[in-house]
Amino acid sequence: MGIKLLLENAHIEGIRYFDAYRKNGGYRSVEKALKMAPDEVVEEVKKSGLRGRGGAGFPTGMKWSFIAKPEGVPRHLVCNADESEPGTFKDRYLMEFLPHLLIEGLIVSSYALGSNVTYIYIRGEYAWIPDILEQAIEEARANGFLGKNILNTGFDCEIYVQRGAGAYICGEETALIESLEGKRGNPRIKPPFPAVKGAWDRPTVVNNVETLAAVVPIINMGGEEYAKIGVGRSTGTKLISACGNINKPGVYEIDMTISVEEFIYSDEWCGGIKNGKRLKACIPGGSSVPILPANLLLKTAKGEQRIMNYESLSDGGFATGTMMGSGGFIVLDEDQCVVKHTYTLARFYRHESCGQCSPCREGTGWMEKLLLRLDQGQGKMSDIDLLWDIQSKIEGNTICPLGDAAAWPVAAAIRHFRDEFEWHITNAAEAQTRNFGLAHYADPLPVPEPAVV
Amino acid sequence: MIQFSQEQLDKVNRIIARYPQGKQKSALLPVLHLAQDVFGWLSTETMDYVATLLNIEPIEVYEVATFYTMYNLKPVGKYVFEVCQTGPCMIQGSDDIIAYIGEKLDIKPGETTADGLFTLKTAECLGACGYAPMMQMGKFYKEHLTKEKVDAIIAECRSQALVNQ
Ligand SMILES: Cc1cc2nc3c(=O)[nH]c(=O)nc-3n(C[C@H](O)[C@H](O)[C@H](O)COP(=O)(O)O)c2cc1C
Ligand code: SF4
Ligand code: FES
Repeated sequence: MGIKLLLENAHIEGIRYFDAYRKNGGYRSVEKALKMAPDEVVEEVKKSGLRGRGGAGFPTGMKWSFIAKPEGVPRHLVCNADESEPGTFKDRYLMEFLPHLLIEGLIVSSYALGSNVTYIYIRGEYAWIPDILEQAIEEARANGFLGKNILNTGFDCEIYVQRGAGAYICGEETALIESLEGKRGNPRIKPPFPAVKGAWDRPTVVNNVETLAAVVPIINMGGEEYAKIGVGRSTGTKLISACGNINKPGVYEIDMTISVEEFIYSDEWCGGIKNGKRLKACIPGGSSVPILPANLLLKTAKGEQRIMNYESLSDGGFATGTMMGSGGFIVLDEDQCVVKHTYTLARFYRHESCGQCSPCREGTGWMEKLLLRLDQGQGKMSDIDLLWDIQSKIEGNTICPLGDAAAWPVAAAIRHFRDEFEWHITNAAEAQTRNFGLAHYADPLPVPEPAVV
Repeated sequence: MIQFSQEQLDKVNRIIARYPQGKQKSALLPVLHLAQDVFGWLSTETMDYVATLLNIEPIEVYEVATFYTMYNLKPVGKYVFEVCQTGPCMIQGSDDIIAYIGEKLDIKPGETTADGLFTLKTAECLGACGYAPMMQMGKFYKEHLTKEKVDAIIAECRSQALVNQ
């Protein structure tokens, strides 16, 4: 069994409620942290090496140390529970089953940042979860962990839950802040960064649910101990939500030393490919990260085992690697069509583009149309190059990273599955009746060979 | 006349109190959710009413109501089926589920049945990819959908509607 820091108690009866949670060691981190100075708490998080679990992997302690502290201006912590990246459903699991873990992490983090009013921004579709969180908040307050003068330390903290209303873009931190202010979710141009000018122009830190929950074990065990788990700059544990053609879809906590192969095939995790099929491709970090064919997923271009951590997943850059992203692990078996799957993602990004930047607004729609045409057997060879051209012109030319997130899946699909795209054109009629199949996508790669782009 | 009850107005005031003084506009998304729960959908009249409550311009409400997919700017059926169709659900057969519901209710995505009971919509990833195919129905999710499960859900909605009549 791997090490579990977050989900260890998830299956204890009644853990959703304060009494069981407290009996099992809950809220110790608040008692400990509130005896420390706020900066010492930040220091522990820095030492832990914790990287943001929302997708970008930015070091949390460093982000916290950037928060501006102008005299007399309130600061805010905002928890990003917008979780809308296809393949990602881990924050939902945490909030549904361990709401007090998030609330505990929020109290400690609010103390470290000096946030007396903290918000949880949750996607509107998770409509039943605010009740769970609000009940946990009320219980915490009734037991003196929230409200005025917490544990007689003079620290005041309130936590409010705000629901979004259906917009993936509100997961982007500046769009989230706009939405929190009661506006359309249009991302802001940075700088200024939220740490200086965020919600209501006040210094604001936005962190993912899982990031904030991880603060609890960090404070309990100390940053240094936490950093000993994992490897390199991938410290601690990571939640992975696994879906697609596997035997055991679900949310798993891993320490970042297991191999991708183990994760997919071991009964402890995904339990192998469903119906005895073979693995064709995988998007390991949520829909925005590059898709990899089976051969490049399990081994790097250098022929080494690929490990479930930040460094190993991105080994080879975009030419032969991918990213850890949000941990939304999507597995495709030999019967799946990469063209069609990529089409649904392009449709997703077109649907979710806020429309402020023309490369993203126009480009996502254009890519969707071309991919639909290809999938329906009406594409032309030149469409593939056109798709490549469009995605390359979106990337890097937009206000927020949604543009990149829309471009990368298309780029990676063409980069690694060009044969399948071409077959949809040369064998258009056949492509309507059967899929391209596994083809050569699981064949062992010649080692070592320079990457083909 | 569009009008919240006293209890609902108290709730609006509690929501406004979560935000800094003078930033009552921040309450807009939650108050629109409340209005939609109470009135079924967001008519211009409802949106204007919300603008008055929050002391903001009506255009500020329209801007927001048109941006977010969860706000209904047209009346919808009593039961709204929003079936996710993004990649992870697609590979688990969401297209078949959408087609099956459409056939069974004799409507296309975006339409409402003549008796006003059901609306079918397609949705993009709802954060339930591991429990696919799935749909949202009101406040809750229906997961691991099969044709049999869809039949049962529709039958249950129908009998519930009869009881409530
Ligand atoms: C289009 C887009 C969508 C995003 N969606 C989410 C999300 O749903 N949840 C999340 O935590 N971060 C999301 N992010 C990342 C946030 O902008 C931000 O980096 C993150 O909340 C920071 O938290 P962390 O440092 O704890 O990861 C998204 C970013 C982009 C560009
Ligand atoms: S990149 Fe797309 S989503 Fe982001 S601000 Fe521009 S148009 Fe909006
Ligand atoms: S793809 Fe359907 S819930 Fe995520």
